Amino acid sequence: MVENSPSPLPERALYGFVLFLAAQFGFMLYLVWAYVPESWLFSLGLTYWPQKYWAVALPVYLLVTIGLAYILLFGINMMSTAPLNSTHTITDNYAKNQQQKKYQEEAIPALRDIPISEVNRMFFLGDGSN
Amino acid sequence: MEERGDRTALQCRQYSASCREFSVRCQPVQLRSLSAATCSVWLAAYWLFVLTQNSMVLSTAIFITLIGLIVYLHFVKIDQESLLVIASLGIQMTSSYASGKENTTFIEMSRVKDVVINEAICMQKVIYYLCILLRDPLDPQSVSEVVPLFQSSKPRLNCLVEVYRSCQEILEQRKTVSQTL
Repeated sequence: MVENSPSPLPERALYGFVLFLAAQFGFMLYLVWAYVPESWLFSLGLTYWPQKYWAVALPVYLLVTIGLAYILLFGINMMSTAPLNSTHTITDNYAKNQQQKKYQEEAIPALRDIPISEVNRMFFLGDGSN
Repeated sequence: MEERGDRTALQCRQYSASCREFSVRCQPVQLRSLSAATCSVWLAAYWLFVLTQNSMVLSTAIFITLIGLIVYLHFVKIDQESLLVIASLGIQMTSSYASGKENTTFIEMSRVKDVVINEAICMQKVIYYLCILLRDPLDPQSVSEVVPLFQSSKPRLNCLVEVYRSCQEILEQRKTVSQTL
């Protein structure tokens, strides 16, 4: 019964703690690489580091990407909006292939996509009691 | 019958029981926008002239302004859009430009499935627009194409509802005609 409950499993706490420790270690390593002078690192025997230029360049790249991503997301949204003359504003594949359920007395009618002509008649002509 | 929105005016004319015409008039070219555009172009040209001391810049600016105005009036600025619906024949859309040019499109009635008011997202808002749904020749129940109407004059929902109701009265006549045949 414990496996079927939606609450977090104990493994999730373990993964979380491992991730926390790894993140802290990574951050300390980044600080050591950025601030400690090269001569001290070389005297310890650790010689294979990337250039210190990247300690400043990578965060700058990251921040510029985040700023551009807002604009890019806005642009992608605008580009994927269907134009006014496309049939995607009216229907789509799921609505075309939907199955008609039989109408039962005294039951709530099944959920379905109503064609736009019917919707218009209901709204603007005040027609029909459906 | 006339209806005035804040910018557009709708005019409905009934020629016979099965033929109606709807005209929507756009806002005319405003003097302040015309002078603003002209002044900005001429000020930019004068600033270039001050930089380069070449008087050709000024004459090209005047030329550009004149040509730009003519092109705008002839190709861009739509004065009036009208829709003529004849129940047995078809639907005709006419756009008349500010220079007098008229653009006409005719759709025969056998291709027309319905005329509806559709809502769609345009830039960052949702607009209502009238459109003609064209029938798919292979599948009579599905819509093959959507033709938006009144794209430049963009009348508001109260105008659209009037046009929609009139169009539906006429489109019902073609159903009764086809049923009696």
